[in-house]
Amino acid sequence: MRYQKTIAILLIFGIVCTGWMHLGNYFKPTPVRFQIPKGWPQPVYNFKENPLTKEGIELGRQLFYDTRLSKDGSISCGTCHQQFGAFNTYDHNLSHGFNNSLTTRNAPGLFNLAWQKEFMWDGGINHLDLQPLAPITAENEMAESLSNVIKKLQAEKEYRKLFKAAFGTETINTQSLTKAISQFLLTLVSSNSKYDRVKMGLDTFILPEKLGYEIFQRKCVSCHTEPLFTDYSYRNIGIPVDPFLKDLGRMKITNESSDSLKFRVPSLRNVMRTFPYGHDGRFFSVLSIMEHYRKNMVVSPTTDSLLKNRLPLSNFEIGQLTAFLYTLTDSSFLNNPNFAAPGKGISTTAPVDIHNN
Amino acid sequence: MKRTAILIFLFICQSLVVSAQKKQALTIRFNNRFGNEQLLPEQTYSLNNTDTLVVNRFKYYISNIQLTNTEGKTIIPENQYFLVDIADEKSLSIQLNIPEGNYTGIRFLLGVDSIRNVSGVQTGALDPLHGMFWTWNSGYIMAKLEGTASSSAIAGKQFTYHIGGFRKHHNTTRLIQLQSSVFTDSLTIVADAAKWFSGINISKEPVCHSPGALALRFADNYSKMFSISAAQ
Repeated sequence: MRYQKTIAILLIFGIVCTGWMHLGNYFKPTPVRFQIPKGWPQPVYNFKENPLTKEGIELGRQLFYDTRLSKDGSISCGTCHQQFGAFNTYDHNLSHGFNNSLTTRNAPGLFNLAWQKEFMWDGGINHLDLQPLAPITAENEMAESLSNVIKKLQAEKEYRKLFKAAFGTETINTQSLTKAISQFLLTLVSSNSKYDRVKMGLDTFILPEKLGYEIFQRKCVSCHTEPLFTDYSYRNIGIPVDPFLKDLGRMKITNESSDSLKFRVPSLRNVMRTFPYGHDGRFFSVLSIMEHYRKNMVVSPTTDSLLKNRLPLSNFEIGQLTAFLYTLTDSSFLNNPNFAAPGKGISTTAPVDIHNN
Repeated sequence: MKRTAILIFLFICQSLVVSAQKKQALTIRFNNRFGNEQLLPEQTYSLNNTDTLVVNRFKYYISNIQLTNTEGKTIIPENQYFLVDIADEKSLSIQLNIPEGNYTGIRFLLGVDSIRNVSGVQTGALDPLHGMFWTWNSGYIMAKLEGTASSSAIAGKQFTYHIGGFRKHHNTTRLIQLQSSVFTDSLTIVADAAKWFSGINISKEPVCHSPGALALRFADNYSKMFSISAAQ
């Protein structure tokens, strides 16, 4: 009887010990469900191959704002993708890269990427996970090699811990690095603008917004399709080639002359924050791009068939359209602390828009 | 009851025997050459007696290996991707686990099949950090040849040939089929880099960095660079 008790105690002790030992190797990140806004299509990103987790998203956020991803530690993804500009480079036609270099295209806003199949203005990148490799390694952006990035991160105890929590192993490779960044990027969903609230019956347009929406549906919606405000196609909207950049757009990827000067249709969500506009940022305000559409377009053989006669717009229409475009600004997205640099919080001072005001 | 147990036991034993078909290791060595000479980094070679070349980099992907045995049956080992690189001695021989037998034929893909070009970031030999992936126009560089040539008219007298493209009209992967005398556990394949230059004018075409017509000419050239070594 005496022994029985001892044996029982020893047994329980043994079980607890084994449990404790296993706990150290126990890997179970907290799953996060991806919410599809009401009425939106299914995302194209394959979440099965990279399921969202709390740990993965947090790691991705750390990486997105970490300047160690660049050669001299001066540039992070967040340097050229600023939250107050819906993750574009605010008020810059081109962005600043390593060693006083300039990029050759305008850094677009980053949001709703789960619905986007191809990336870059020419669609050259065919998977969200592959996208970070381009800016990290480009000589005029972060100018770093992938093996150096991994070496630098691997040397940090904090990162080894974060990678273990997100992917179950301290060993960092290109795949886990980019999957983590994707997880953060996928959470950047912008679906709470005034337009969205009006669609849900929670708000109403004032008259100019309503008139602008009607004009928008007549003149813009065939390319800037709702609810994402782009159809993700490549089109030539009559922007003449820049003699210095000589950027032929989609043709560089497909080698087809019929794709000459075609660029991806950008989303118009948060458009009042994502100036300048156009693939090389040559349009500094909404008014300047409206002027382009109605007066300055250069019609060439590959110009979009919908724009062969340019896009006639009256001054009145431009005014109403602009009022509508303001309803696409999603302030809860622009101010969401979950998207801001970790530990720094969100900047409360909104930058002054000197072009659109 | 006892009899049933014995029967089940025997059945399990038998299935174990059947599934444990004998396997063997096959080592495939890639013997990289320039014409008749061994290809080594930083060595000088003569091309058509008119041009002097130094090769700095020579790398290519091998995948989708299949073998034919003496009975004419095709064996398909689990697909793996290998990056052969003259600067990395270890990469010059690859190991496969295959059923025991006598083989006379091998088929493989030079390059990376299209599915791996559109499935995000891969690991192992396909990790983009090996410098065999285009970040601005997603897709693998199937094979790479870089160096200097006396006839080159660009900075540093360089030539850089990064051959890639996986889409229909720009596909630079090539299916290679080779016949050999009987082999069991080792096979040596010769890869002759000089074959890349057939019909290529280095002074006019010193660079190939994107999918397209020139890349396809190189692909057709490198499809002819492999042969089975006479000395097996």
